[in-house]
Amino acid sequence: MKKITFSIGGVHPNDCKLAADRPIEVLPIPETLYVSMAQHLGAPAKPVVSVGDKVKTGQVIAEPGGFISAFVHSPASGTVKSIAPRADLAGRMVPHIEIAVEGDEWAEGIDTSDALIAEIPEDRAMMLERIKNCGVVGLGGATFPTHVKLNPAPGSPAAEALLINGAECEPFLTSDYRLMLESPKPILIGASIMQKILGGPKCYICIEDNKPQAIKVMGEALEELGFSNMVVQPLLKKYPQGGEKQLIQAVMRREVGSGALPISVGAVVQNVSTAFAVYEAVQKNKPLITNVLTVTGDCLPVEKQHNYRFRIGMPLSYIASYAGGIPTEAAKIVSGGPMMGRAIANIEAAAVKGSSSLLYLKESTTRRWTESACIRCGRCSEACPMGLEPFLLNRLYKGGLTDELEKNAVQDCIECGCCLYSCPAGIPLLDNVRQAKLQVMGIIRARAAAAKAAAGQANK
Amino acid sequence: MAESYIVSGNPHWHAPVSTKRLMLDVIIALCPAVIVSFLYYGWSEILVMAESIAFCVLLEWAITRFLMKKPSTIGDLSAVVTGMLLAMNLPSGISWWIVLIGAVVSIGVAKMTFGGLGQNIFNPAITGRVFLLVSFPAQMTTWPVPSGFIHNVDAFSGATLLQQVKILGAADADALVSLQTLFTNIGGSAGEISAIALLAGWLYLVCRRVIKPWITLSIFATVACVAAVFHAVNPELYTGALFNLLTGGVVLGACFMATDYVTSPMSTWGGVVFGFGIGFILMMIRYFGSYPEGMSFAILLMNMAVPLINMAFHQKKYGRK
Amino acid sequence: MNSTLILTIVILAGLGLILALLLYFVAQKFKVEEDPRVGKVEECLPGANCGGCGFAGCHDFAVTSCAAPDLSRHYCPVGGDPVMQQVAAILGYKVEAKAPQVAVVRCNGTCTARPRTNTYQGVQSCKAKAWLYAGDTACQFGCLGCGDCVAACKFGALSMDPQTGLPVVDQEKCTACGACTGACPKNLIELRAKGPRGMRMVVVCRNQDKGPVAKKACANACIGCGLCVKTCTHDAIVLENNLAYIDFTKCKLCRECEAVCPAGSIIGVNFPKPLDKEAVKARIAARKAAAAAVKEESK
Repeated sequence: MKKITFSIGGVHPNDCKLAADRPIEVLPIPETLYVSMAQHLGAPAKPVVSVGDKVKTGQVIAEPGGFISAFVHSPASGTVKSIAPRADLAGRMVPHIEIAVEGDEWAEGIDTSDALIAEIPEDRAMMLERIKNCGVVGLGGATFPTHVKLNPAPGSPAAEALLINGAECEPFLTSDYRLMLESPKPILIGASIMQKILGGPKCYICIEDNKPQAIKVMGEALEELGFSNMVVQPLLKKYPQGGEKQLIQAVMRREVGSGALPISVGAVVQNVSTAFAVYEAVQKNKPLITNVLTVTGDCLPVEKQHNYRFRIGMPLSYIASYAGGIPTEAAKIVSGGPMMGRAIANIEAAAVKGSSSLLYLKESTTRRWTESACIRCGRCSEACPMGLEPFLLNRLYKGGLTDELEKNAVQDCIECGCCLYSCPAGIPLLDNVRQAKLQVMGIIRARAAAAKAAAGQANK
Repeated sequence: MAESYIVSGNPHWHAPVSTKRLMLDVIIALCPAVIVSFLYYGWSEILVMAESIAFCVLLEWAITRFLMKKPSTIGDLSAVVTGMLLAMNLPSGISWWIVLIGAVVSIGVAKMTFGGLGQNIFNPAITGRVFLLVSFPAQMTTWPVPSGFIHNVDAFSGATLLQQVKILGAADADALVSLQTLFTNIGGSAGEISAIALLAGWLYLVCRRVIKPWITLSIFATVACVAAVFHAVNPELYTGALFNLLTGGVVLGACFMATDYVTSPMSTWGGVVFGFGIGFILMMIRYFGSYPEGMSFAILLMNMAVPLINMAFHQKKYGRK
Repeated sequence: MNSTLILTIVILAGLGLILALLLYFVAQKFKVEEDPRVGKVEECLPGANCGGCGFAGCHDFAVTSCAAPDLSRHYCPVGGDPVMQQVAAILGYKVEAKAPQVAVVRCNGTCTARPRTNTYQGVQSCKAKAWLYAGDTACQFGCLGCGDCVAACKFGALSMDPQTGLPVVDQEKCTACGACTGACPKNLIELRAKGPRGMRMVVVCRNQDKGPVAKKACANACIGCGLCVKTCTHDAIVLENNLAYIDFTKCKLCRECEAVCPAGSIIGVNFPKPLDKEAVKARIAARKAAAAAVKEESK
């Protein structure tokens, strides 16, 4: 199949997939787990257990706190020790349920066997319900609740394509790659389940060509399973291919309008690990309490790099010390990749559903450059996958020109980091553009709220 | 384990391309032309080059240090590039004080008064050259007989091919230029002497992705087209495409001066329009102006139009018309 | 020769005349009628265009105040009462005097008091930093130290103290326009009454964590022990979310809270004499003993 890629902007960082050949290992459960109530995008979950309660693995311990929210399940069996605020990886206080682990006894009704269940149920509502009850969220980074995405609002166009995102365009990260190599069939069955829920759109398994092994393994598994309306789509390596809008443009040659959802062009994008979680939820009734995380970095020898299957609630410091401790050369620890990941301010923070890596970066790699004058080389606009002009947005932000910022589409920024990455003058473009975006988004929201209020007034 | 880890917004690393690296690439790209002119003109050429670079760097250092009271910016090597480009526009063996005046105008007037690198409207080296050309026309157009290590020059002492046009007429001048000129030499300043060396440097920059080729190609195409049309109408009055491409400062200007980041448009199509403007103005000056050469003026005029071009040509935005 | 000269002069003079007339007519045609009081009001205003009044600059203040039925929504914090009296005189309105205010930084997390846990790299802006994470120390409420407030101040009243890493307010220059209060993403700066001869009591902390957590993060943090609330005889202190707050309209500047605060997070400024903690504590003890005696007697 012809390799394709998105057409606007993009950069080619060195892919540094150092942990690619390290199989997934299962982490032992520590004595205490701290389960965050903010595991997903949207409203935090509300605890439904109290201090002193006995919980089993996979038992619901918190329910959704709003429409866009998700269930949270106990990652181990034990006793609820406390429900109190604890610092997350940014150092902000978030409610956590602390569980004193006593074992790993699973709640009833959960299939914990390794047997592959290829037969897909017919009942669409049941499958959606299971995905919701198992607390499945998008594991590609945004942790958007999956059941909301798979159940588009009435009136939206029918889904024409389901894109399973195995691009893993972020350098260093190998968790999706390992999952594709080790569990290709569950991923494909999960994809097929989502296909069925969406009403049978064509499904593309999108994988970048720097992972030929994954393309091969997934292709073979697809042949064996014999799914007809599904293809493996190789992509030319380019960052940020895994961005929702970029992937849709690459595969479907359609562009999602500003502020619109992918479904407006008939697309639904789900990550491969989400597909895996959907498989586990629907076929095995297994809630999302584990995910794969890569311990990697440019200051770690390959033999010290790992891909781990972790349970949510494990302190990152525990994972780090199990993997052999934080290397002395590490100047920055990132959760996620070097382009879009978040710097960890508090290593004691607990792992969440969306945790994808512990990335150790050397001082020389990660140091921000001293800012010098803009030489108007245009590299930032060339790199921007949304076709924005970061140098201009930076200038407008400094001048406080919010109207101009909105006209120049600052709210479309996906914060991929290509502009700052490619700026030869080391100008903190994204830092400023992000603030500008937040400011303009606030204005747009306020305007919408005012319009709504005015409409309400008129109706009275 | 370190005491405190760094926290910053994404991205957490950086492409290995800095301003300094880009400028270094331009310096490397200029080297073939410098070597060729050294071979033709000998040490006097190197002397002018050294003077020009030294004056430019010293001036920038002094201005940032004593007038602007800011940290010095000479580390980014942009002053070295300006110095080299200025020297390439000067006849070898020119007096040091003229070089100094050129450096003062280039760095002091064209660059630093606007706030330094990135703020200037006009290309500094060209501004310096034009100032010298207007102020010292005699010294600036007296080309010494090549005195270096190669002596196969069809030497035009005192006048370049373009000046021959005004003396001999178009048809005779045209006959002096063939494709071979590309490989041998063209009389003139260091930057004009070997088209092939300049093109080699330009190719290096394009391959290293330091610059995009569109501005240069657009200039070449415009010059060739305009010249071809006029030549076809009246070969007695107007010189041909090849003659116009290979003579004077076209190659140097198109490859190194017009492609200066700061004073050229950012978008590809903006670059094409910019190149067209330069090519067209250049040909108008050559055919109808009183100066034999107009590359510098053409670039300076189009420099002024860059903010307008930037306003007119924007990147295609995702998901928007 | 002569005729050319005359001709030139005539043409130029004529041209000038025609253009001047043109300009005059255009100016007449597009003249904007404005309340003459607006100019007068604007003349009294400080002209800093700081926006502290809530309007888009001094001109906007003048225009809206002339159109308003009274001056209840208009107060120039920079000019204060003298300016408002002038404005009221022009417009024929009455204004009530307001107590002069000053910006107060409610964080005392100096470099030595708060152990660093992280180092920030990136654009020097508190707003950007606050979006990213809780801060360089374990206190998620404290000053981020990038100086957004300093940049917001149009009067040069704020500066960063390199020793402490905290902003310092120059009381003489501060006009209480409130620009800094909006600029601080941690909401650390408050406009408080300047107090008689500048004397005032402030809780210089915003940490709402429980005592031990707060103490661990910062040696100067309010631990929410409530001793000050129990001591205050003027009902001026409230404890909310593990944090004490002094209501400056009720505070009588007795400095008892400062004396009893174990964390040292209540600070009195501009008092002529340093606080004699033991004497104040003895006074409180004596009062409590007397109260207990009265209670005993009534039994």
